[in-house]
Amino acid sequence: MTSKDETGMKYLPEIPQKEIDEIRSSIKATSMKVTSENIERMKKSAPNRPEAMTYFDGIADFFGQREREIRAAKEEGKKVIGYMCMFAPIEFILAADAIPVRVHSGWYDTSKIGDRIVPVEVCPVIRSTIGAKMVGLSPYLELSDAIISTLTCDGMTKLCEILSDQKPVWTMCPPRVKDSPQSMNFWREELKAVKQKIEDLTGNKITEKKLRSAIELLQRATKAFRRLQDLRKDSPVIMGRDAMLVNQTSAWDDVKRWTQKTEELCDELEKRVQQKTWACPPDTPRVMVTGTPMVWPDNWKLPNLIEEADPQGILVADELCSSDRLLYDPVGVDEWTMDDMFNAVAERYLLTSTCPCFTSKDGNKDRINWLLDKLKEFRVNGVIYYVVRGCMLYAMEYTRIKRILDHRNVPIYYLDTEYTREDVGQMKTRVEAFLEMLKAGAEG
Amino acid sequence: MITAGIDVGTQSVKVVVLKDSKILSREKTFSGFEPAKAAEQAFEETLKKAKVSRSDIKHVTATGAGAEMATYRDSTISMVGADAKAGAYLFPTARTVIDIGAEEARAVRCDEKGTLLNFVVNERCAAGAGTFIEAMARALEVKLEEMGPLSLKAEKASQINATCVIFGESDVVTLIHRQEPKPEIARAIYDAMADRISSMVYRLGVNPDVALVGGVAKDVGFVASLKRKLGTDVLIHDNPEFAGALGAALVASKRAGVSN
Repeated sequence: MTSKDETGMKYLPEIPQKEIDEIRSSIKATSMKVTSENIERMKKSAPNRPEAMTYFDGIADFFGQREREIRAAKEEGKKVIGYMCMFAPIEFILAADAIPVRVHSGWYDTSKIGDRIVPVEVCPVIRSTIGAKMVGLSPYLELSDAIISTLTCDGMTKLCEILSDQKPVWTMCPPRVKDSPQSMNFWREELKAVKQKIEDLTGNKITEKKLRSAIELLQRATKAFRRLQDLRKDSPVIMGRDAMLVNQTSAWDDVKRWTQKTEELCDELEKRVQQKTWACPPDTPRVMVTGTPMVWPDNWKLPNLIEEADPQGILVADELCSSDRLLYDPVGVDEWTMDDMFNAVAERYLLTSTCPCFTSKDGNKDRINWLLDKLKEFRVNGVIYYVVRGCMLYAMEYTRIKRILDHRNVPIYYLDTEYTREDVGQMKTRVEAFLEMLKAGAEG
Repeated sequence: MITAGIDVGTQSVKVVVLKDSKILSREKTFSGFEPAKAAEQAFEETLKKAKVSRSDIKHVTATGAGAEMATYRDSTISMVGADAKAGAYLFPTARTVIDIGAEEARAVRCDEKGTLLNFVVNERCAAGAGTFIEAMARALEVKLEEMGPLSLKAEKASQINATCVIFGESDVVTLIHRQEPKPEIARAIYDAMADRISSMVYRLGVNPDVALVGGVAKDVGFVASLKRKLGTDVLIHDNPEFAGALGAALVASKRAGVSN
């Protein structure tokens, strides 16, 4: 998708370079400030924060070590492939010796730039990503040689058109019903097409040997990822925000190094479990969040509010495609043949997804089942259903999920917000009232 | 045991002093531009009225949007937590408590002990709260306290939109231009607001008995509309605007008891 209209660009306006540079440097300065403030706040809430977190604090910087590494790799001829939703086949990208990076935006200030070309009713994740592209803020997006954009929601569908004004965009269309035979056939064709594009861009053939080692690399990452989540099931040994940051950095860090660092963190946490050194009192209300992805660095406001509240809560789990869902599911291969591996990758991305863009004969029941499993496994006291305005699919599924949780006597609270810093006061009132309620419930 | 609760609201500061769960005194003052000072002043006056000194107070719990302005507080409680406590104290049979203040409307479900079981808060818009009535009274050129009785004289119902204060005002102007009688317009204003409040309460579920607290509970026009929309009677206590402070004071008693 790179064709031009007779007007030149399809969507993006011509902005004088000077203005772009000014906006970018101002937003970049704010972003760096927000990043370090968030990390300071996380440190403050966890006075005995694990030492292994230092690594992730560093890799969380969008304008630091990882940007330099990717830039250097590019200079040596490596290709960078950006992606939006959790459907891009990372295994293929790695097997073609390219670098995968997730590029959707969590910057509040760029959503206001995006407002110049799409209405404010549009989901802010989309508006912010558009704005980030307009001013060239995101190093990972800028460094991408191509973007894989999955047409999950309406916002993502149009976003790919807008981005195609400046970048090669490869669309992947997920079937809206994921569990029918024709869906799987269609999805395999989509993956086959994108695999070809990856090979063409990189000039590297995805061989059986290379694909196997990419799958194995990610299986090891999944193992580390699951080990971390398992450690959150009992008395709190790590604050939720710290775990969320570790999870999220996997979307742009080097997979092998991330896996090693996460294993080191887990080693440290296991020692703490033995010593009964908790991150916060074990009777702290245990909260799970679900809904719209929360993207670092700006959109950290709900996690901050929950873990800094009075009474304090701890995020023990989430059902977010920006965190606990990221590396949870491994690619399960029976025979290490090309066909089997290919099919296993296709199934992993389609069938395990609990994205509300799907439906089936019993609706998006996979999401409900996953939520219910997590509620039990992580001994969750209450759920915050988080939606940014304009995020229709998550907003609409709330009613069904609330009915089920009400039926099971699990408190759930719907919290809607925007990409803005101004409503933190009102959100705080609601979050603290919810935590008070959970605490009162726990005390009988 | 003497305790105090303070509610630092967006428009006024309310203080209640309790002795063994009985109200000794209550006082209210406008928040103005210096809410911290107002919070201090209201506290002093309530103590004076109760004839107690600061050292007699075992525990002070603050609530409200400006709870942090009450520098002498020992603890804080959320507004919905305070509503649940106050509702059950004022009306032991109340299971739903609706609180409508100047800028925010809330509804809580509670048990007989005042434990908060569930709650809803209005969306980020003042059209479901007291300032909406004030703005509409201005548009109608009637005094705030006269608008309620005026609306009760309405013979039929007109309609306005209450999705936002600004649109509501332009709707009121349209009705004025159409020369609708003032009582009808006044009733339309209350009906529109009661519509918003009742749909919020329906999200929580209308669990009788229903109690209404907060300053707006004193407005007979709104109360009449709300009863119609909810299809149920609504319990209202004298001094409904002190519910937040009362709830906070009750929480203070519990917390002081625990720390002993």
